[in-house]
Amino acid sequence: MPRPVAHITAPWPTQEEMEKSLHISKARKKALQPLVDEFKAQLSHLEEVSVASIAPEKRRKRASAA
Amino acid sequence: MPPLPDPNAVFLNIPYDEEFHNLYVAYIVGLCQLGLVPHLATEIPGGDRRLNRIIQLIQSCRYSIHDLSRAELSVAASATPRFNMPLELGMTITWQSLNPDQHTWFVCESEPYRIQKSVSDLNGTDPYIHNGTPEGVLRELCNAFPRDRRPSVPRMLEIYRFVDNNLDAILKRNGTSDPYDRGVFVELCWLSKTLADLTRLAEPTI
Repeated sequence: MPRPVAHITAPWPTQEEMEKSLHISKARKKALQPLVDEFKAQLSHLEEVSVASIAPEKRRKRASAA
Repeated sequence: MPPLPDPNAVFLNIPYDEEFHNLYVAYIVGLCQLGLVPHLATEIPGGDRRLNRIIQLIQSCRYSIHDLSRAELSVAASATPRFNMPLELGMTITWQSLNPDQHTWFVCESEPYRIQKSVSDLNGTDPYIHNGTPEGVLRELCNAFPRDRRPSVPRMLEIYRFVDNNLDAILKRNGTSDPYDRGVFVELCWLSKTLADLTRLAEPTI
């Protein structure tokens, strides 16, 4: 028996649409900003690791292909 | 006639208990990463009869998820079966059968075939089985809501871990120990959506 599957046609909601839907206050967003910054720092670290882990030869090939 | 539903809104019909909190966070993180907006009965303000407010919320959402994985008897002294989730599923089925283009509902379970025993009237409806794990919830959400440009399940799991690790701080800031509190829910949604947008910009998607 096939399970139901959503056929989503709506575009991805913007941050503003999401915030309007949730009725979130500016104070709450401000309080959560340090967590967002912490995640951003982790994300950029992960990207650096990911780039560094690609062999130099592969990186040169990718750069020349681009 | 109620207004048309929000095309990205998902009503979450889940148990509000302590043992479920990690799956609750996984639902929020997963839906936000799929570009959907979760909604919970606790977020609607009081004033009207609770049941009326739940009906309005179901009608305002294009989709709903009904997690029947914890429909067992409570462990409290006077063990009582939980009827809220099946009741809200029944209300949703009625609404959807009257308005088939305006709503789609999904049933989730942790164990395969158990639903045939607990709600045999649902025979013919295959539930999504998440095995009671956050990873399972993220996987099944991806199956139920296929979408271009979605992150991989391991990437979704990383964001889940980050949000879950910060749940205590969010609870403390809101002066509550209840993760289903309205303020906590709103903050979890906003944080999950913001992190999802950050990773979508930075990472290749599927």
